[in-house]
Amino acid sequence: MNKKSLMRSLPVIPNLVWGIIFIVLPLVFVLYYAFTDFDGNFTFANIIGLSDYAQTFLLSVSMSVIATVICVLVAYPMAYFISKAGPQKGKILLFLVLIPMWINLLIRTYSMMAILDDEGFLNSILTALHMGTVRIVGTKGAVIFGIVYDFFPYMVLPIYTVMSKLDKSLIEASSDLGCSKIQTLFRVILPLTKSGIISGVTMVFVPSISTFYISQKLGGGTFDLIGDTIERQFSNPTTYNIGAAISLVMMVLILLSLFIMNKFAGDDTDEAKGGMMP
Amino acid sequence: MKKLVELKNISKEFDGELVLDNINLDIMDKEFVTLLGPSGCGKTTTLRIIGGFVTPDEGDVIFDGERINDLPPYKRQVNTVFQKYALFPHLNVFENVAFGLRLKKLPEKEINERVMNMLKTVALSGFERKNVTLLSGGQQQRVAIARALINEPRVLLLDEPLGALDLKLRKDMQNELKNIQKQTGITFIYVTHDQEEALSMSDIVVVMADGKIQQIGTPTDIYNEPVNAFVADFIGESNIVDGVMLEDKRVRFSGHTFDCLDGGFGKNEPVDVVVRPEDVDVVSEDKGMLKGVVTAITFKGVHYEIIVDIGGFKWMIQSTDYVDIDAKIGLYIEPDAIHIMKKSEYSGQFGDYSSFSEEFDELDVVPDEDGEEDADE
Ligand SMILES: Nc1ncnc2c1ncn2[C@@H]1O[C@H](COP(=O)(O)OP(=O)(O)OP(=O)(O)O)[C@@H](O)[C@H]1O
Ligand SMILES: [Mg+2]
Repeated sequence: MNKKSLMRSLPVIPNLVWGIIFIVLPLVFVLYYAFTDFDGNFTFANIIGLSDYAQTFLLSVSMSVIATVICVLVAYPMAYFISKAGPQKGKILLFLVLIPMWINLLIRTYSMMAILDDEGFLNSILTALHMGTVRIVGTKGAVIFGIVYDFFPYMVLPIYTVMSKLDKSLIEASSDLGCSKIQTLFRVILPLTKSGIISGVTMVFVPSISTFYISQKLGGGTFDLIGDTIERQFSNPTTYNIGAAISLVMMVLILLSLFIMNKFAGDDTDEAKGGMMP
Repeated sequence: MKKLVELKNISKEFDGELVLDNINLDIMDKEFVTLLGPSGCGKTTTLRIIGGFVTPDEGDVIFDGERINDLPPYKRQVNTVFQKYALFPHLNVFENVAFGLRLKKLPEKEINERVMNMLKTVALSGFERKNVTLLSGGQQQRVAIARALINEPRVLLLDEPLGALDLKLRKDMQNELKNIQKQTGITFIYVTHDQEEALSMSDIVVVMADGKIQQIGTPTDIYNEPVNAFVADFIGESNIVDGVMLEDKRVRFSGHTFDCLDGGFGKNEPVDVVVRPEDVDVVSEDKGMLKGVVTAITFKGVHYEIIVDIGGFKWMIQSTDYVDIDAKIGLYIEPDAIHIMKKSEYSGQFGDYSSFSEEFDELDVVPDEDGEEDADE
């Protein structure tokens, strides 16, 4: 009998090994570094010292929130129209939206700089038209724009997936029972596609909060986001411990916010939970 | 009685295919009207035009005297019970039923009372908090009816609402629906392809085929006086044979001249003659107006179903008396059992009992083809 259960658990072993090497061990390292000093002694100093970075945290979170909200507001109607375009046209439109995903993030960010820079493409056009120049790179707006641009496909895809599975007869039923188009949107379509929005938010908000290229390039080095800070700590061996402490706090904050979102978004559909928790 | 819904010269094409061909239909207030026809004949499309989900290419939809072609569904005094129910999966039973009332912003107390009453009507008290996706087919169907009825529409559209139910539940729901319709006085427009259901529930039956209305009438009219071979065959069992109207009240078919009750045809006009299986009497061969050989007999409980070959045409006869296969029998037909129809595009397509279905014909053909192929090789 023992043998049997051993046989049955054999296929799980590669997963287990993978999980230990790539999930558990890194977490242990993060924890270890976060609670020790340079000499390996236990300490809370790293965590307590993080109050210096409160500003950076706040700035990062607020920019990610703004970028995520913009993504939702643009991606939702777009996903709706793609799903309504019919299978043939829908496939092509979705393909167009997803193309940027295949291009390296760094290249996308650099090409955006080439367009938005003070001497970039946009400004040279404006100059040629004698309309002066606008300063874009180096502003918070540019960084937010960069985040939206880079992560947009990750918002469209899950929303589209849920939207395209929406039973059209439910929309007819809603109209039949007296809903105008707007009322149908709020009473039927939104509640039934909520799970797509939540997946999308998770896929945009979480990575964008720790992004560092975008802020370094499009922010022009004028301000620090939390991702930049972490990167800097890890490029100097003496500050590993602080970097680990920031990472740990970030992780806890993200888990917390996902948990709150989970509760907040209602738990009436089991499907909704699938995409939320990492 | 006054006209509530009128369809005038309605035509509709999908992808270049004419799905509805010049439909004209008046539906009276408080009536139970059934659209009956084979799959793909355009029943759902007709219903969706009345509901506002499909706009006709040509013709007018009139509701209570006003043209409503361009009125969106949510502004029509019409509610629909959809073919697959279309219940909202994110709402429980109570909220599904309350959906229409909430839109009207009624006070909570009234909503509560009306929903509870409606759930009682459809025998779903105690299910308020249930998740609709966990209900059985019959329960979902009743939620769908409650959700539509609670809005007290002028017209309720029902698209094969009983299609997914088993036979017994179906019979119960037929009675239930008929009662609800009588009690509320709401006009029901009901779609089915089950002729028995149509005959037993409706005030008026509309028989459709190939995007056209074939006949509109009461169930007895439709059964006793079908206008063409399609209707005669689709409603109940019929023997449909070629005949010639010699003069008023005299028709010749299957080599014999019969007295009948119909008239108004041209002299010697070719016609289709319908004789229902239950209206034929089996007699001894010498007393029969028609003579034939029994090729099959099946016991059906109340009666035997007998297939008789008369000059190569297979008749179906229902009789309480047993006869042997290969026996020679005579058939006797009363004048009032004979119904005469004008020739139509459907003449000759129906009413012969060589087999019961086209699939059977095809099955029959397959071995022959194989045989030929084998011979070729
Ligand atoms: N939206 C549509 N687009 C293209 N063709 C359609 C559409 N709706 C219906 N049709 C076609 O119109 C014809 C009639 O369809 P309809 O649904 O009205 O038939 P029905 O009588 O309700 O059949 P059933 O008993 O199978 O439900 C069918 O050939 C169908 O393929
Ligand atoms: Mg249909």
